[in-house]
Amino acid sequence: MPSKRTFFFLLALTMAFSLGFSPAYGAEYPTRPISLISVYPPGGFFEVPGRAFSAAAEKILGKPVVILNKPGASGMIGTVAGAQAPPDGYTLTMGCTTISCANEWELANGRKPLATREDFVLIGSYILSPTLISVPANSPWKTLNDLIKDCKAKPGHYAFSSGGLYGMSHVPAELLMRAAGIQCRHVPHKGGAPALSAVVGGHVDFTTQFCPSTIPLYRGNKVRVLAVQSDRRLKSIPEIPSVKELGVDAEYQAWIGIMAPKGTPDPIVKRLREVLATVVKDKTFIDTIENAGEVVHYMSPEELSRYWDEETKKVAKIWAQLAKEPAPKK
Amino acid sequence: MDVFTNLMGGFQTAFSLQNIYLCFIGCLWGSMVGVLPGIGPLAGIALLIPVTYGLEVTGAIIMLAGIYYGAMFGGSTTSILMNIPGESASIVTCLDGYQMTRKGRAGAALFIAAWGSWVGGTLAIMGIMFLAPLLANLAMKFGPSEMFALLLVAFFLLGSLGAGPFLNTMAMVILGLLLGTVGMDSLTGTLRFTFGIHDLYDGIGFVPVAMGVFGFGEILYSTAESEIRGVYKPRLRELLPNRAELRASWAPILRGSGIGFFIGLLPGSAHILSSFVSYITEKRLAKRPEEFGSGRIEGVAGPETANNAATGGAMIPFLALGIPTGPAIAVMMIALLIHGIRPGPLFISEQPQIFWALIASMYIGNLILVGLNLPLVGLFVSLLRIPFRGLFPIILLICLIGTYSVNLSNFELLVLLGSGVLGYFFRKLKYDLAPFILALIIGPTLEETFRQSLMRSGGSFSIFWERPITLGLIVFSLLLLGWNIYKAVRGNERAAENKAR
Repeated sequence: MPSKRTFFFLLALTMAFSLGFSPAYGAEYPTRPISLISVYPPGGFFEVPGRAFSAAAEKILGKPVVILNKPGASGMIGTVAGAQAPPDGYTLTMGCTTISCANEWELANGRKPLATREDFVLIGSYILSPTLISVPANSPWKTLNDLIKDCKAKPGHYAFSSGGLYGMSHVPAELLMRAAGIQCRHVPHKGGAPALSAVVGGHVDFTTQFCPSTIPLYRGNKVRVLAVQSDRRLKSIPEIPSVKELGVDAEYQAWIGIMAPKGTPDPIVKRLREVLATVVKDKTFIDTIENAGEVVHYMSPEELSRYWDEETKKVAKIWAQLAKEPAPKK
Repeated sequence: MDVFTNLMGGFQTAFSLQNIYLCFIGCLWGSMVGVLPGIGPLAGIALLIPVTYGLEVTGAIIMLAGIYYGAMFGGSTTSILMNIPGESASIVTCLDGYQMTRKGRAGAALFIAAWGSWVGGTLAIMGIMFLAPLLANLAMKFGPSEMFALLLVAFFLLGSLGAGPFLNTMAMVILGLLLGTVGMDSLTGTLRFTFGIHDLYDGIGFVPVAMGVFGFGEILYSTAESEIRGVYKPRLRELLPNRAELRASWAPILRGSGIGFFIGLLPGSAHILSSFVSYITEKRLAKRPEEFGSGRIEGVAGPETANNAATGGAMIPFLALGIPTGPAIAVMMIALLIHGIRPGPLFISEQPQIFWALIASMYIGNLILVGLNLPLVGLFVSLLRIPFRGLFPIILLICLIGTYSVNLSNFELLVLLGSGVLGYFFRKLKYDLAPFILALIIGPTLEETFRQSLMRSGGSFSIFWERPITLGLIVFSLLLLGWNIYKAVRGNERAAENKAR
């Protein structure tokens, strides 16, 4: 029994062949379903953002936007597939901070990244989500200053968990350590959920994870959140201070956006950009995303491009240091 | 009692016409997903997620949960009938289940599997009902070092899994471990044995390998020696288990329920681990362990119960803390998120209607599954009447579609085909397949948790004896190792004595 998703995928595939010679672009775009590649598995980081976008874009475009999960290799399998897709506007790729994390790691280790920003045209981004610094509920640390003070007193004694080496939740912890001048042991896990359970169970001393997974645990008193890694407090947890007001320069916000393969015709790119700019004002779209604990924040292609540059610089600096000196011993 | 008023409220919600219908659809789809090799609960749930958008949230979660536990129900069918695991958690069921089929006891094996699944599933729901918050906290106490110690126990148990000589089994274990090292090392990002192929960055997935060596391998093997598998004509009386079989299965079913439920709490491939630990436990406790692998009902009853009880255990960290322990649960959680409900530690107290309706629906669902599966035993057994030349191409196709549907990866299809050829030679040379697959599944996690423990302790091995749970499990695993060596040595001496005679 094929599902809607596979059905549309097959449909898209058949039509891709039959319409291969179609001369007219632009005016009637889209004439068939659009595929949106998610580089994470079903249920992963892109599930809610992807579903919300596809539902809202479908309303505007009048054609289904079908999510294809192509997970693997820290998102690079899907990103490469997206970069190599025909640039006709019918295969889009979801992008996020993980691309610069993974690519800069490759560069820092003297390898060539598999797909870079140069392979894509940016449509824009619609989520900007900060990480939260959290500690076990029974931790003696009540504030970020407690954490920094103790870690300074015993360099290399305390440990933090991340969702994976050189991944999106590793960067914010490194930023924190560099900003505060502390050194801690790193225990990478396979994904955000295991990294958070390590904090809930008290197996590590802190972690920096995203809101959707952390906030419910905070509300249920299983973890304590010390700070938001942003320049302002969050609407959903206004009692938690931001790192900026605490005077620690460890801001970190991950973006999620849409990209098209390089060479996509301008009229189509323009249309997609308009669609994204409209989608981010859609009430249902905002509700779906905010209910899941993310923050809707639209960035135009130019803004995103600038943000991406800054982010790349930050990450590149950290990775360059990490690649030189492997994990600190005791 | 409070629990019972809540549960009654839950039953009221679950007994609405729509919810019963959704529960039925979930169970039916789950059973199909379970029966069809290659398609697992993850794919099954992910495929139906879009359908749940239009549903009200309680109905959505009832349906998805139905798929999840329904898949474990159906997983045994092809294991028993064709030696092809319908689900990776039913791998060990092949060992004795298929032998029972060859003895003409397919119906009995299927019947006991369904019965055990029901008992395990229902007991596990009771476990969730009374113990969820308590056990969720206990599960969190299992950090990397505890997981490592537990997997070490599992690893030493592997040695006694195979029916063949100890050294052959160990050779398969080591082969599985080696294959498990392929891919990007998750802790340092080092690429191992990837030869520049990015599809190998995430390692070799065990689902295509398991489907390959068991499914494709079995088909290739049977095609080559078709005379072994004559067409089998079951009689109705043979469909039901006889009294001796029923008597032999109740204890394994109860033990399987406990083993499955507690192992299910742990993250990772808990179902697979639970069924295999249950199998080994039964083998160890049996009066004549050497008969395992030749069609003992205990070898079907225990594991099939355990993997169903594990679904209950696995839902606990999700329901009580909002932490998914596996990908299938993560997808289920998304269905709640899409409807604006964020599961977390407060889920049970803030959303009691949903929680209790789900619990009630699981009782109903398990009954539906028995109702679906028992009458189907006869039908499934009569599938054996289909000549293999008609059946096999269909199974091959299902394996291919199932594997492709998960990650849309051509590479995994190649892995599937390659492992099929490997499986053929393993069978031909009489090497056991189960230790190979289980080592492939356990190996990477064993390594990961070992290194995570050492990263936590800053390289000091003291972490393995400073924590009580870890220490207990490590001591147990060393005892097991000693026992294995003792038995292997004594076995050799006996063999030498026999030769001398």
